[in-house]
Amino acid sequence: MTAIPLAEDGVVTLSPRRRRLIKTLDIAGLIATIVTLIGAIIWAFPLYWTLVTTFKVENDVVQPGIDLWPRRFTLDAYTHVLFNTKIGAWYINSLVTSLGTTVLVIIMSAAAGYAISQLDFPGRRILWWLILASFMVPIPALIINHYVLMAQFKLINTWIGVILPQLIAPVTVIIYKQFFDSVPKEFREAAKIDGATELQLFFRLYLPMNWGITTALAIITFIGAWNNFLWPFLAVTNEQMMNITIGITQVYDAFGVKYARDLATAMLAALPVAIVYLIFQRRVTQAIMLTAGIKG
Amino acid sequence: MGTVDLQHVTKRYGSVQVITDLSLRIDEGSFTALLGPSGCGKSTLLRMIAGLEEITEGACYIDGEDVTDVPPAKRGTAMVFQSYALYPHLTVRQNIAFSLSLARAPKAVQDEKVATVARMLQLEPLLDRRPAQLSGGQRQRVAIGRALVREPRVFLFDEPLSNLDAMLRVQMRLELAKLHQDVKTTMIYVTHDQVEAMTLADKIVVLDKGNISQVGSPLELYNRPANKFVAAFIGSPAMNFFTATIAGRDGETYRLALPGGRNVTIASRGGAAPASDRVEVGVRPEHIRLGPAGAADTSFEGTVGIVEQLGNSTLLYVDTPAGQLIVEGEGNLDARPGQAVSLTLDAAQSHLFGADEKVI
Repeated sequence: MTAIPLAEDGVVTLSPRRRRLIKTLDIAGLIATIVTLIGAIIWAFPLYWTLVTTFKVENDVVQPGIDLWPRRFTLDAYTHVLFNTKIGAWYINSLVTSLGTTVLVIIMSAAAGYAISQLDFPGRRILWWLILASFMVPIPALIINHYVLMAQFKLINTWIGVILPQLIAPVTVIIYKQFFDSVPKEFREAAKIDGATELQLFFRLYLPMNWGITTALAIITFIGAWNNFLWPFLAVTNEQMMNITIGITQVYDAFGVKYARDLATAMLAALPVAIVYLIFQRRVTQAIMLTAGIKG
Repeated sequence: MGTVDLQHVTKRYGSVQVITDLSLRIDEGSFTALLGPSGCGKSTLLRMIAGLEEITEGACYIDGEDVTDVPPAKRGTAMVFQSYALYPHLTVRQNIAFSLSLARAPKAVQDEKVATVARMLQLEPLLDRRPAQLSGGQRQRVAIGRALVREPRVFLFDEPLSNLDAMLRVQMRLELAKLHQDVKTTMIYVTHDQVEAMTLADKIVVLDKGNISQVGSPLELYNRPANKFVAAFIGSPAMNFFTATIAGRDGETYRLALPGGRNVTIASRGGAAPASDRVEVGVRPEHIRLGPAGAADTSFEGTVGIVEQLGNSTLLYVDTPAGQLIVEGEGNLDARPGQAVSLTLDAAQSHLFGADEKVI
């Protein structure tokens, strides 16, 4: 980089060419900022629109025109959803199935990733290729098989039935394997000389050394499980056993769809995820970048 | 306790042979350095003693017990790695106590042993820090502490000082020497730095391409190298080599015709007689005497090429009929490039090597 010439009195002096360049850069920066701002507004507007609609009176919602602010402010939609639906049960179902999925996915993926990365056993390469291959198959393509299987096990309308098919998480295994691969082998050797068994190596060395990635993957798995719609929608027909994302479909009355109530349920459904995101923002971003890196 | 006995050890990776039929005995309480250039197999040998590498053929005994197939933790060895391998998520205290906690030693025992080691290595103020908060030298001490707490029969060091800067390396070298004096446990130390090996070890094993080139005390290796490889590897600046012709022999003494036409008489070191009349002469820079040009009874006439003044000594690179020779003179030597000089070899300190590179 060339140093900016200083005049004798210490004031920066710029050549006319340099001044023109800086001006051009300023304009380019301004345009980039405006484009980004427009992008942000386009992205955020549906969220704002949803939130504002939940505070509107149902009649005002269906009036022609765009009301950017409620004409009459009301909490009716929320009180209805909170007191006249099974949202409490839906929350519990979502919480149990999402936490269950998260815990099991993390334990199984970390263990599988560790085994493939660090242990030498017959069939290790084949297992690795199988995991990679399973990653190529989109989950919705298997959904009929999952349904038939769960129905045969009589697990429809149960928490376990919702959780089991969600445990297929090759991406998490791949990420764990890559992280375990990158742990220098001296740590393993030092611990081996210190007398560590494989389980101790896993629980006392590899997992704690990759604690950051575990929390990131746990959060993103939890958010994914909480937001999942298709499988819980198929696996549960009993309103009492529904997750909150499915519960939204149950918020109607004899007069049809009530938009404010539906959107209020959606807002309540999104609330825990939003809180989790706000608390663990940095970790979630890290996890999204990692999985994006794998998925390409 | 702490003898290590390697018997006919061979190590192969597929078709690549790294160590070939190597036998070595390391005495109890000794400080043995495995010295050699990169790729000579010294680290592999150490890792085989530690149990981190399988021995393809042969056997390894520690205190007479065959440990060839014994897992690393049960060999009674402790290893200090080049990268220190301190567990980054644990504090210094937890790092040192790691092996004890794996063995589920009572907390009181762990605390007591950690305190003893910390006192010995002056780590007490650092016990609650994590490795990332330590300097290179401190990390090195923690790594040694982690090895020390296991009370091993044999300490294994794999180039432990190579990540440190020059000053710290000298300081840690002294600390290691002191540690050995204090604990008197057998130590095996891998290094490619001959200064480290010479200053620390009481026995040096020079390795070359997976074979032992020579075993001996530092001064034995320096003064009586068994072959040209050891002669060239030990000593800094390196030994000078040039070719001469045998002009005559009187018992164990050879009269050599030097390049440039002069003669010198050098005694054999007890090796086999050379197969041809051409031999390689090896002489260390400090064993060449510098004189004025045209002096009588000298070995070479030459011209000073480069002068390196190191303070305590001066190195002259002198162009002679035998090629460029390095001569070590006194620190206050007044020599200038281009100056004509004469050189005289110290025949008693010169070595002869045959075509097979073994000492004559």
